[in-house]
Amino acid sequence: MSRRYDSRTTIFSPEGRLYQVEYALEAISHAGTALGILAQDGIVLAAERKVTSKLLEQDTSAEKLYILNDNMICAVAGMTADANILINYARQAAQRYLLTYNEDIPCEQLVRRLCDLKQGYTQHGGLRPFGVSFIYAGYDPQRQFQLYQSNPSGNYGGWKATSVGANNASAQSLLKQDYKEECDLKEACGLAVKVLSKTMDSTKLSSEKIEFATVGRTPEGKIYHHLWGADEIDALLKEHGLAKPVDKDNEE
Amino acid sequence: MEVLLGITGKDFTIICASKAAMRGATILKASDDKTRNLNKHNLMAYSGEAGDTTQFAEYVQANVQLYSMRSGTHLGPDAVANFVRGEVAKALRSRRPYNVNLLLGGVDPTTGKPSLYWCDYLAALAKLPYAAHGYAQYYCLSILDKHHHPDIELDQGLKILRMCTDELKRRLPIDFKGVLVKIITKDGIREHDYVDDKQILPA
Amino acid sequence: MDALVSQLETPRSQQELYNSEEEQEQLALSLSPSLKFALPPIAQSQAWLRAMTDDYSNPNCPIKIAHGTTTLAFRFQGGIIVCTDSRATAGNWIASQTVKKVIEINSSLLGTMAGGAADCQYWLAYLGMQCRLHELRSKRRITVAAASKILANLVYSYKGMGLSMGTMCAGVTPQEGPALYYIDSDGTRLAGNLFCVGSGQTFAYGVLDAEYRYDLTDEEALELGRRSILAAMHRDAYSGGFINLYHVKESGWVKHGFNDMNPIFWKTKLGKGEFSNVTADLN
Repeated sequence: MSRRYDSRTTIFSPEGRLYQVEYALEAISHAGTALGILAQDGIVLAAERKVTSKLLEQDTSAEKLYILNDNMICAVAGMTADANILINYARQAAQRYLLTYNEDIPCEQLVRRLCDLKQGYTQHGGLRPFGVSFIYAGYDPQRQFQLYQSNPSGNYGGWKATSVGANNASAQSLLKQDYKEECDLKEACGLAVKVLSKTMDSTKLSSEKIEFATVGRTPEGKIYHHLWGADEIDALLKEHGLAKPVDKDNEE
Repeated sequence: MEVLLGITGKDFTIICASKAAMRGATILKASDDKTRNLNKHNLMAYSGEAGDTTQFAEYVQANVQLYSMRSGTHLGPDAVANFVRGEVAKALRSRRPYNVNLLLGGVDPTTGKPSLYWCDYLAALAKLPYAAHGYAQYYCLSILDKHHHPDIELDQGLKILRMCTDELKRRLPIDFKGVLVKIITKDGIREHDYVDDKQILPA
Repeated sequence: MDALVSQLETPRSQQELYNSEEEQEQLALSLSPSLKFALPPIAQSQAWLRAMTDDYSNPNCPIKIAHGTTTLAFRFQGGIIVCTDSRATAGNWIASQTVKKVIEINSSLLGTMAGGAADCQYWLAYLGMQCRLHELRSKRRITVAAASKILANLVYSYKGMGLSMGTMCAGVTPQEGPALYYIDSDGTRLAGNLFCVGSGQTFAYGVLDAEYRYDLTDEEALELGRRSILAAMHRDAYSGGFINLYHVKESGWVKHGFNDMNPIFWKTKLGKGEFSNVTADLN
């Protein structure tokens, strides 16, 4: 009987549900895991990258982590094509704010902008909701380091540690178990790889399979964001004993 | 012959505006308030074309307050100044520009730093330690150049202001009916009881 | 659907800032059909209007606008006195000697007329309509502050298009007590105790300022208003006719006559010995 209600996003089912929105959420739960952890002195975002083919060029494109502006980055779970539209929108919104006020947009406002757009697609007829969830990491002088998550319905919330995508339930419970409020960025990075290693299919990780990014403060007090290179990720994995042993086939 | 003056100090900004509302050869009102509170820590003083001034000030005021309602946070002095400049610039390139000159006084509530922005009708914006518009510039800037320091206390700032208004009363050919003085500190905006009844004559 | 997409994609900065002019126009349009004026297809409407109507530079101009006035209003202990002359001139020509320059917006609100007679009549009538609508919508008399703001915003939206008016709004409301506002076609709006508007304003100010006190009695205030207008009617060529006198009180306004200035002038001259420059003798 639900057939009558799930072809259009704008129509509630008799149980008061919006099926298209729920399907979008479902689509995301099959996507690679992404997680974010808030630390005292920064934020770490980590994401699982699904390697589909050995022939795919790995290092030329980040597909899960994006820079929104000077004070904010985000991780994506879901349809990358949809995400591109939203990220472009967010970047424009951030630049427009910068143009108007000559200062960076406060994190929550940017999240809100994006979520207002997403919400529009759950209400107006004939359009499909965006099939993406985001985790945002950012800094503004008013509220310091902040971590947000949003989903296709346009709902968003602030978090200390959160995850989206495949196995996010188990990732979430691992985070809940091991998260410490007073952890620093280094400890948060450790927790991130630990959680990822447990939620991903393969037990041993490599820089090909994950993306990593941090927002933090330099010793001079400047805010930076940094998308990690392969060597940095490998070093971190090695430090936590999660690196994949060197592949025999590739050895000389 | 409208007078607008602004002075910053260690932890305050003083904004001062003449009280006369003139039309043609008539002073219609001698207690006019040429300022508008944009939010708790930002005050805008304006002069220029009749009608444009208050309409623009109230438009900006409404938008700054709308921002606060929407975002739950307040715009700081720098953001306010850039926003206001943008609005003047936008109007400047429209069918009917706003002919207004502005001083934006504020104190950043988080850092406690005072700020003063000068903006003219061509949307030129400058952050300054002290500023003036109109004929007041010619008399007061030299006084301020000589006596102002960035770390002065409020009473020192008011003393310099007194020197400025005395000089204006002494030499401006038209009576501007005294000035209204407002002070912005980290506690907000308050009107200062500025005694201004002494007659001052050129030597 | 394209429309929807474009709507969702409209830059936020354009969508969200409440835009003064547009908003005002929309608001005004929603309130009244009278604002759908067709504007002349001319870049500089004010310059065009000047060329068509300014008989000072061009005595053969096709349109002659009625101008020239003295109006005054002041607040005092007993309420507000509103007083005007009644002459309308078009250039050197006296177009009328019996103009009603006090417009009764409602039983406790008065407006005065100076500048373009048509502009004032039209827009004060419009203001009367808006005030009545406000009353019907909110079940409360409009405040003088709000009424004057409606007019100020309205004339501001036509700024630069050649409107010419200088008006005062006087009224007594429970919220404000006696309130007096000056509004002109520049868009200026000022609250105050005492205003004189029109070509004869300086003459009226001279008499009024000298003897004005807030604690005037009703009788003194009425006489001062009358005498101030008389002074202007006597000296200003563009003011004259009848003295129109009103007293606005808490209970509403009271009209104190529409009287020919001549007997009043002669009574003042002969009774009090004022206007001594005027001589009745022929030698």
